[in-house]
Amino acid sequence: MTRAIPPSIPILDSDIQDFADMSAALTGFQSSVLKPALDPVGLAREYYIFAVTQVGGTAMTTLLNAYRAIKAQTARQIADTLLETSGSSPSPQAQLAQSIVAMWYLGAWYVPGVLGGGGFAPPPLQVISSAAYTNGLVWRVMQSHPMGYSPFTFGYWSQVPAPLSSFGVNTGNGGGQ
Amino acid sequence: MSANTPKYDVVIVGAGVSGNLIAKEIGLAGKKVLILEAGLPVPDSREEYMENFYLALAKTPESPYPALAGRQGSQVNPVGELPKPATLPTPRATVLSLGQSPETSYLVQQEPFNELHKNDPNPPPPQNPPTDENGNVRGLQFSSTFERNGGGTSWHWLGTSLRELENDIRLKTKYGHGEDWSLTYSELQELWALAEKEIGVSASVAQQEPLEVVGLKYPPGYQYPMQAIPMSMVDQAVSSGVAGLQVPGMLDGQDDTLYDVFVTPTPAGRNSEPYDDRRVCAGNTNCIPICPIQAKWDPTVTLGKALDTGNVTVSYQSVAYNVAIDGQSATRVDYYEWSRDAGGNISKVSKSVSAKVYVLACHAIENAKLLLLSNNWKGIANTSDQVGRNLMDHPLYLTWALAPQPIFGYRGPLATSGIESLRDGEFRKYRSSFRMEIGNEGWNFSKGDPYTTTMDFIQGTNNSNVNPPPGGSGQPVRLGGLKLVEQLNNIFTRQFRIGCMFDQSPLAENRVTLDLDKETGKPNHVDGLGLPRPKVEYGLDPYTMEGFRMAAYVCSKVYERMGAMEFTTNGGGGVGDFTYKGVNYHYYGAGHVVGTHRMGDKPKASVVDASQRSHDVQNLWIVGSGSFPTVCTANPTLTLMGLAFKSAKSILAALGS
Amino acid sequence: MRRLIIIIAAALLVTVRPQTPPPIVLNSMIPGDVNVTATTVSIDTFQPDFDNYSWNTFIALNWPPGSDGNGDPSKKIGQNGDNDTVWEHYRDVSNIFLPGGAKPTWNGPVQIPDVCKSLNKGNLEVVTQIGKNLLTPTVVSAMSQPFNTGPLIDQNGVFTRFQIVVNKTMFDYILANSLYSKAGQKVFTPPVNFTSGSIDNNGKTLVEGAIMVKAAWKVIAPADKARFHSEDVLVYSPASANPKYPARCTLKTVGLVGMHIGHKTQSAPQWLWSTFEHVDNVPTDADVKSGKLKAKYNYYDPKCKTCPVNQIPPRPWDPTKISAFHSQIVRMNQFNLPIYANSAAARNATAQQLLRGVNPKSVWANYQLISTMWPTDPKQPFGAPAPTFLANTTLETYIQGMVPNVSSNCIECHNNATITVPVPSDFTYVLQRAQ
Repeated sequence: MTRAIPPSIPILDSDIQDFADMSAALTGFQSSVLKPALDPVGLAREYYIFAVTQVGGTAMTTLLNAYRAIKAQTARQIADTLLETSGSSPSPQAQLAQSIVAMWYLGAWYVPGVLGGGGFAPPPLQVISSAAYTNGLVWRVMQSHPMGYSPFTFGYWSQVPAPLSSFGVNTGNGGGQ
Repeated sequence: MSANTPKYDVVIVGAGVSGNLIAKEIGLAGKKVLILEAGLPVPDSREEYMENFYLALAKTPESPYPALAGRQGSQVNPVGELPKPATLPTPRATVLSLGQSPETSYLVQQEPFNELHKNDPNPPPPQNPPTDENGNVRGLQFSSTFERNGGGTSWHWLGTSLRELENDIRLKTKYGHGEDWSLTYSELQELWALAEKEIGVSASVAQQEPLEVVGLKYPPGYQYPMQAIPMSMVDQAVSSGVAGLQVPGMLDGQDDTLYDVFVTPTPAGRNSEPYDDRRVCAGNTNCIPICPIQAKWDPTVTLGKALDTGNVTVSYQSVAYNVAIDGQSATRVDYYEWSRDAGGNISKVSKSVSAKVYVLACHAIENAKLLLLSNNWKGIANTSDQVGRNLMDHPLYLTWALAPQPIFGYRGPLATSGIESLRDGEFRKYRSSFRMEIGNEGWNFSKGDPYTTTMDFIQGTNNSNVNPPPGGSGQPVRLGGLKLVEQLNNIFTRQFRIGCMFDQSPLAENRVTLDLDKETGKPNHVDGLGLPRPKVEYGLDPYTMEGFRMAAYVCSKVYERMGAMEFTTNGGGGVGDFTYKGVNYHYYGAGHVVGTHRMGDKPKASVVDASQRSHDVQNLWIVGSGSFPTVCTANPTLTLMGLAFKSAKSILAALGS
Repeated sequence: MRRLIIIIAAALLVTVRPQTPPPIVLNSMIPGDVNVTATTVSIDTFQPDFDNYSWNTFIALNWPPGSDGNGDPSKKIGQNGDNDTVWEHYRDVSNIFLPGGAKPTWNGPVQIPDVCKSLNKGNLEVVTQIGKNLLTPTVVSAMSQPFNTGPLIDQNGVFTRFQIVVNKTMFDYILANSLYSKAGQKVFTPPVNFTSGSIDNNGKTLVEGAIMVKAAWKVIAPADKARFHSEDVLVYSPASANPKYPARCTLKTVGLVGMHIGHKTQSAPQWLWSTFEHVDNVPTDADVKSGKLKAKYNYYDPKCKTCPVNQIPPRPWDPTKISAFHSQIVRMNQFNLPIYANSAAARNATAQQLLRGVNPKSVWANYQLISTMWPTDPKQPFGAPAPTFLANTTLETYIQGMVPNVSSNCIECHNNATITVPVPSDFTYVLQRAQ
């Protein structure tokens, strides 16, 4: 399920690569997991396009430029800076970065700045696609698989799972790559 | 064949567990069966249902199944855009419509306090319904939901295939409460064996042996069709954690016996070996709402076998609205065949069909509704006045906690073990008993995780209660990158929950009726076919609520013993909220809807006999868990299928074969 | 860039060479693995190598055999139009998983069902009806699908028939580990690990590896033989209790309409999956929408405007009778990237031209590769397959969508395969058939 791209917004491969590298830093995963060289699903492209259609080309470009200015820093620094984790009130740009993290983790688009309440997360605008759901990173974070999509075999649940490091997490202190 | 000879031997209303099983048995015997199914056909593959699920904003039990009004998830507010039952040909109870007004909720029932006051300029603080002079709480919401489509509600059963206990079926004789069943335990054992084979149940009798102490008995040498499903890491943690734990029967001294608390694996209708041309379970952790690979049995498997006989026809989109009676015999079923155009406009044609035998198998609530609708809304098969009464569920009390160390939930089938050892005892004179289902899905049920906690740490909120402001003041943290990964890993791998399910009392005042205006007799609310909608009145008695009190205590003891930190919260004023002895509790519906056409030996006090044959109408069978006189302590599907085997046999005897 | 290739290639476990031998060759040598010649790393550059591998495998498997069962280098595929093939001398699974778990032989006599005995004149094959799911009361299907999806019925109301064979390497593993019987499987020490094929740095086969073939056959009129690879076989339907029909056996000419090749290789622990179809099988969804239809298809009636498309036949399914229902099948698009269709089309053109070069009437030029599924990241349990969905319209007719875990994906489905006890069977369903 791919959205139609408004003709006015150019989609550059370099932008998608930067978007993936930035997302890697924001999410704590390796860039080669989010956008592998051999990429059957094409999630980085799908997410980039979706986000641009939601917030517009300008907001995305501004965020990407903010990333590019600091891309030599460590992944940790990039994440804390763009997400403004030490601030009290994240700016609209930081909220966009938050929605990008949520998109990679949960496969759904959460409107930037809309908070949950009453004991639950905010309702997402939309699950982006079936592929987005089945490739959500949150399930790797818990060393498991998406509910409804198990690549494991009978009885796996009675054993300890593979370590977190085997799920594509970027445990190094290197840059966003 | 003359015009008066029915073309069919049996007409069955409803293509669910019971309907499909009976159709298969009758078809195998060479008799002709027509199934009238209200809803849409079984799809050729489950691609559409799985895609509905993947794209659903809220992954409720109903989320894969046809909404007939567009796929859920295309709007910002999933509740605000729910399809209106008045516009649907086959509306049904859904989780998302719980607690809503009848404009949105198919079942017409009391809305909770918060819903009634949500638009007040100054909403009063939340309140739970009052307790009456008998200690009962009335005006509660019946929270279980169901489907109306080919295959029925058990598309989304969990697969739990426990047998009842000896004392479950003689609650009245043994404990002076509730009712007795009209079957013996040994007869049920035969019926369970048939059901276990039909479904394909995986379990080991040896592993169930410790439960002999609560009256779970097997015939000597009995073997389940497939070997047991292995216990999950969560099960193992709970099991070792509760070693040696004992709890009294009652908190106030009426039953000081100490009962052992221990964990046993749960017999389940999911494959541990290739069985019946279906795959082995891969632990998709999605049994509810849908198993992607059909390792879990669902009623379409049995429907396929019924159709294979060549003697069974299914008429889909066929909503029965009247069973015509002539004296003590049913003579025909009237139904609407409906269709819907692209604009959602419904057209319907009224048709009739006759048979020698009629079977109502369309769910406890819809069976009651159909019986009450018949004979110009005066009702049939109801000299006992029990049709629609004694509506029961297993109200489900959920508690949840964080284990001290990772125990790796969110893996495996949704539940693989439980604490069954507290299901029977002297205390059943005074309070409902309960089984404790250990969940493998973290806080998915409890808190809508992983979404809630993930968004908490991304956005800096604390909806999950695991992101309190550091030091107790200020704002909750916001994280990104590896810090987010590590924090979420730490939380999710330690999340687990226990769901306690109570055998609530059969109460005459818990009932399903037609929602008709008292004066005019006209329906207050109709569905898209113009049929009156069911009204539900529901509440809990002290017997049931004392069970909650005990369950909360036991759960806290289990968590304490495990070194786990409990996070259970119960609120007020919402769906399923009530207060008992000054403490707030919350129940969910387990989806186990029983009691509305109960079986019994006495026609004056029951609707059907042990074969689920109507006392009043000699060629009418009313089948399903609606026939249960008590809800007992096991999940009902295995037993209701067992009863369907018995019904099929009696139907064939009546047909003279 | 070269360093990047080698790093990624190491992760991929393939051997990457800078030189480019001719991609598709008329050679009887079965490739031991894919020969990746791409110099940059992307699906666009790798997919053609996998599709070349598939065609080379198809050609080698369909090569005329010599007396030792291997392809006879002195002959050429299709030199007389049609020919006997190497894979048809592989062992059929019905002759491996015998009643009572009896020990099978590679070359020994084949089981002829009683009802076929009077018709059997020496060398005829027996092709049972599988219908994509459960077949006989005693044997478990090798192709369990969610939903007991039904048979594929041709334009004459006749059921399509299926056959599964395994090569000697795969057979030997089954034999050596006693996996041919339930009793043997019960005491087997996991994991099941079939032999992986491999190639050397020049692309030459070192080890053949385990290969399984699933073939779909359609009953054809003798006049149509020129367009198909065909055989005269005993078409057998075992007796069935529900639906109820007696055993039946008839002598028929059948034409090959679909061929799955599954191959365990060093680069692909999740196996490589190649699937071929007869060119006349079905129109594509795009063909139907644009009205570009052929006069005749094996499984589609261009004149019927009201026939429901890709719908499962109504039950009961009785293969012993002529069915009033004919399957009206259309190939749906399952590819999210253009490379898969483009690469297959280019390779089909090359291969078909090569085959016609041997004999313009070569039946083998009437077959087309649909695509090759391969794991892009073998370290992951599913291996991150490319393409993400792949179906053969004769073998996965009714799950041609793009829904994860349900729509046809060779690796996702076969990942669920086990032996008769809950032990993973290394991506094959054949071991479930043990008795």
